Amino acid sequence: MPTDPLDALRLPPVPIDPRPEFAAALWRRIEAGPGPLDRQTATVRYFVTDLGASVDFYCRLLDFEEELRPSPVFAMLYRGDLRLLLSVPGGEGAVHTLPDGTVPQPGGWNRMTLQVADLAATAEVLRSHQVAFRHDVQSGIGVRTLLVEDPSGNPVELIEPTSGYHERIRP
Amino acid sequence: MSTVSVRYIVDDVDDAQAFYTRHLGFQLDMHPDPAFAMLSRGDLRLVLVSPVPAHHRGGGSRPMPDGTPQRPGGWNRFMLQVPDLEAAAATLRRDGVRFRTDLVTGVGTKQVMIEDPSGNPIELFEPIRAEARLTET
Repeated sequence: MPTDPLDALRLPPVPIDPRPEFAAALWRRIEAGPGPLDRQTATVRYFVTDLGASVDFYCRLLDFEEELRPSPVFAMLYRGDLRLLLSVPGGEGAVHTLPDGTVPQPGGWNRMTLQVADLAATAEVLRSHQVAFRHDVQSGIGVRTLLVEDPSGNPVELIEPTSGYHERIRP
Repeated sequence: MSTVSVRYIVDDVDDAQAFYTRHLGFQLDMHPDPAFAMLSRGDLRLVLVSPVPAHHRGGGSRPMPDGTPQRPGGWNRFMLQVPDLEAAAATLRRDGVRFRTDLVTGVGTKQVMIEDPSGNPIELFEPIRAEARLTET
């Protein structure tokens, strides 16, 4: 990637935790008491084996933002309308372990679908980072799709709308 | 505009869409093919697909290039916020919905996991801390 000459003039980023926007939003929520329940941000939980690697994968390659990582077994990320919870299964007193001792596992086929502007370019970036592909770019009805895996083997579907793709009309 | 959706693999799309609309407050947006339905609930779009052959024109549930079929199940899931988890669980239990867990209390939420007719997990939660609550911000 060519170096931006303006980089020399930019100050280094200073990490702030929690981010001021999040702190302000949290304060508004506390002030307002119980929040309205009519709006339901889509929330998805994935099980991962290595939290650090997973947060890096989603934030560096798929435009997620890290919102919270309060413990070594849980992180909350956002990407637009989507809230993604990453949980490391197992361990002492783990809330997700079933009463019979069954521990949740990564994997399966159910997945979140993320829209990207240029699927071919995204595929190239992911490939250059040795991301595992379940299938390469293929055409469906109104979309082209790509199915990749996060570092724990969870499926992530990427789509680019093509002609004939219709957004649901929202009230 | 919604830019995100969740895709669940189900054994039977008709059964699945009936389950999600009847028990979980989803709205059916389209069901143009026996193997495909699109539902929504708030900001969540749920795409239900059943496995199709490799030559099917809809691509989301074809087998992988090596022939591996897509199947329901697993542990990854979408989550639905409810204002009163005990009440929601009681209603679902009365309606004969399968539970994978009983109510458990985590750090930020009370939660319970149920299953759709194909055995796919759905997590219902009630926030007990502000960070876990979904609001308009």
